[in-house]
Amino acid sequence: MITLSQRLKRKNDAETVPASRAPIRDRLLVKEAQEMSQMLPSSCSVLYHNENDLSKFVLIVKPTEGYWEGGIFRFDIDVTEEYNMVPPLVKCSTKLWHPNISENGEVCLSLLRKHSVDGMGWSPIRRLNDVVWGLHALFTDLLNFEDPLNVEAADQYRYSQDNFKITVLEYVRNYAKE
Amino acid sequence: MADENENEKMDNENQKPEKMFTLKKWNAVAMWSWDVECDTCAICRVQVMDACLRCQAESKKDSYGKQDCVVVWGECNHSFHYCCMSLWVKQNNRCPLCQQEWSIQRMGK
Repeated sequence: MITLSQRLKRKNDAETVPASRAPIRDRLLVKEAQEMSQMLPSSCSVLYHNENDLSKFVLIVKPTEGYWEGGIFRFDIDVTEEYNMVPPLVKCSTKLWHPNISENGEVCLSLLRKHSVDGMGWSPIRRLNDVVWGLHALFTDLLNFEDPLNVEAADQYRYSQDNFKITVLEYVRNYAKE
Repeated sequence: MADENENEKMDNENQKPEKMFTLKKWNAVAMWSWDVECDTCAICRVQVMDACLRCQAESKKDSYGKQDCVVVWGECNHSFHYCCMSLWVKQNNRCPLCQQEWSIQRMGK
């Protein structure tokens, strides 16, 4: 039988759990996930591992122009409990040849930098939608050979754009197809 | 001089009956808005005059009712919840909206 004293005891136990920001993140995510799906670029789609957990999902980008056209690139996105004080963790799980994405999947996008000195890094006014558009633009407008993460790819581009194109296509053929 | 004044008085008295209309009823309408640069906290996306997302969540949990969640204005005139902003400045002492160095201009409701 459930007695009032038992109920009170249980309530007190629940309150001693250390404060976490997870409930704040989850509240923000309800709005942001909806906004993201409504404003998704036409070349992108989103896949949730678990429908009840909006904090972990895969962004699939299929560029319709540029060097990576025809490839299918998957990004694992993890919105940690400290969101939106910190940016989501992003890893590219598709191997590709790109000056701003390493072969291990680390992504170099100013928006995703936790600490910034130039004011271009993460800011809590950013939303998931900005992250999605940023990743999407890495294949077009934000592609940057000047400040590369994959130095080898940027160097190759500098010496021969044709060779760069060939390597990109090789990677797309080997790793970025369905 | 006295004559002139008298004439003016006469004129005024003569004009009185010629009034075309009189004001019988006047309904005044006033508009108002918050006197702040931005009325939504850009960090938690809740109105600055309401409690921030965290305070709302916590007050729900311990059912205390009213929470003391104040607003803070920076020198740049941008406003946020004090709770939200104090978390952010620990990481980066800039206004999230304009990236200016953050310094508090005033606090309150």
